[in-house]
Amino acid sequence: MGAAKQAVQVEVGDEMDVPVIDHAPAERGTARKILPIVEGVVLVAALLAPLVLQDYLTVFATRVIILALFALSFDLVWGYAGIMSFGQALFFGSAGYGVALLARDLDITNIVLVLPAGTLIGLTFALLLGGFLLLGRHPSSVIFVSLGTLTGSYAADRLARGWYYLGGQNGIPSIAPMSLGTYEFTEGPAFYYLVLGILVVVYLLCRFLVRSQFGLALAGLRENEQRIAFFGYKAQHLKAIIFTIGGAVAGLAGSLYAFHEGFVWPNMVGVVVSTQVVLYVLFGGSGTLIGAVIGTVIVEGVSFWLSDNYRDVWPIILGLLLLLVILFRPLGLISFVLGERERVGSFGAKPKEKRNAAP
Amino acid sequence: MANAFVAAFEILSFGAIIVLIVLGLGIIASMMGIFNFAQGEFVLLGAYITYLAYAKGMPIWAGMVAAPFVVGALGFVLEALIIRRFYAAPIVAMLGTYALGLIIRESVRGLIGGFYLTVPEPIGGSIDIGAMHISAWRFTIIVITLLVMGGCYLLLSRTSFGLRVRATLENPSLARASGISTPLIYGATFAFGAALAGLAGALIVPVFSLFADLGLRFLIQGFVAVMVGGVGSFIGPVAGAGVIGTLSAALPWVMAPVVADVLVFVLAIVFIKFRPQGLIAGKGV
Repeated sequence: MGAAKQAVQVEVGDEMDVPVIDHAPAERGTARKILPIVEGVVLVAALLAPLVLQDYLTVFATRVIILALFALSFDLVWGYAGIMSFGQALFFGSAGYGVALLARDLDITNIVLVLPAGTLIGLTFALLLGGFLLLGRHPSSVIFVSLGTLTGSYAADRLARGWYYLGGQNGIPSIAPMSLGTYEFTEGPAFYYLVLGILVVVYLLCRFLVRSQFGLALAGLRENEQRIAFFGYKAQHLKAIIFTIGGAVAGLAGSLYAFHEGFVWPNMVGVVVSTQVVLYVLFGGSGTLIGAVIGTVIVEGVSFWLSDNYRDVWPIILGLLLLLVILFRPLGLISFVLGERERVGSFGAKPKEKRNAAP
Repeated sequence: MANAFVAAFEILSFGAIIVLIVLGLGIIASMMGIFNFAQGEFVLLGAYITYLAYAKGMPIWAGMVAAPFVVGALGFVLEALIIRRFYAAPIVAMLGTYALGLIIRESVRGLIGGFYLTVPEPIGGSIDIGAMHISAWRFTIIVITLLVMGGCYLLLSRTSFGLRVRATLENPSLARASGISTPLIYGATFAFGAALAGLAGALIVPVFSLFADLGLRFLIQGFVAVMVGGVGSFIGPVAGAGVIGTLSAALPWVMAPVVADVLVFVLAIVFIKFRPQGLIAGKGV
């Protein structure tokens, strides 16, 4: 947490002549390099995974990658901007339902149509809900936003369960596979590399976004909203923008998920999935994009591994672990290897130049 | 006429159940400023204890009496061990209590399996008024709710303990300076809120039967009710619960249940957006 404040201070430092607190150069030099290494290792592992995994595990890995994409969307909203979105599944699931309806009623399964459509659905819903919850004359309290998103997700769940057109309790089964021309994406290595490619692209875009000036303002929002407002940023607008972007990413993930699983069901918009994504990000480490990915892989991987033998006990263990992480490792598992400074990154002028400039 | 009366009774009894569940939630939210996600699981525990007493062959009412005490004691312990660390950060408190709730819920699920277990009503039969029959047990719930509400009100407004609680709520540092042990007050209040949830669970289990997601069903309704009513007073959440409970029970009589269900939430969120302080603003009883 302190790192973001410090980064803000570095920014202000130029104008206000506040002495900048600097770490020892050696410490920074080593600390800087861990994040790219972690990201590289994860990428290489993900690229090699289908080669060593059996077929049914590749299908499972594909699902994990899609969920990681979903976790990324929540991490943008909570980890960077500090908006507790307890209803992220609303965008995930509504996009899933949207593309499922496209495939069922209009026979549209072309990848270049359905994925943008899903993204757009997520974006629209997030824009509407986020705009309503976040904008307005009086800034909304964090509690209101988190309960508002939670309620939105719960209400959508009830609606999906009761609406015959959406398949009611059973959801929409047997969605046709996603297609590109005559080629059909079915479960397997091709689908895996497709979603991995999408994840990498989205990850890089997000990384660019959070390391930009915009990302710095977001990190500032998370740490001290009032201060950012005093700097002249429109805090509410920033929040609404990142919320909408998060919704779009969740929508993309949701449409991929719907086609991969081949069906959508009410839980997908509901509280269960909404809280699941919170678990992923908290475990991995909020405020680092890679933390969200790692958290998803760990939680899903371990639960897949344990669910055969310890199906009943696993959710209890999950709860206990979550409690321990919240109490003792609020920055998630990634904080074991990653320093505080790297969560925020460097902004503006390079630190080296600054040291030379400051007498 | 008879129909309208039955409808009114249904609405009233559902409203009473929501009030009962929201009371504890509202007290904890007002006192500590945290929204306790584990509250639904306290309800579940109360229901489970009642079921346990029934399954062991004890009279059901014994389980119902024991439930609030056991759940209250658990709440006290949890507050001292875990919840206490969360007071500074409301969002972290939500996540932490969510984790707690997950542990409790899944433990109970493991104990009862995925079944719906029924517990008979300790007071069976129906009360007949002319041609109309109303369930005796639901009527009892309404009466008990009124008694509990009255009791809470008296406790908070007329006793020295209530005075301390209100003082801590209004200005914690001044209360500490005046020699009130605020950590103890917080612990006691949390335990009291948990005990109310346990009581609610014990009373509603004959109506809804016991299943692992029993508490979850009421949790979000409870949150919305607290927000609508307004955090910071005793009477606010109760009023909110009355409104939400009445609406949720009344709207399905005039429109499709699916639409009614969603409409209640939408209306509530819109209301809170434009009146963030809730129905009844301000602190006090």
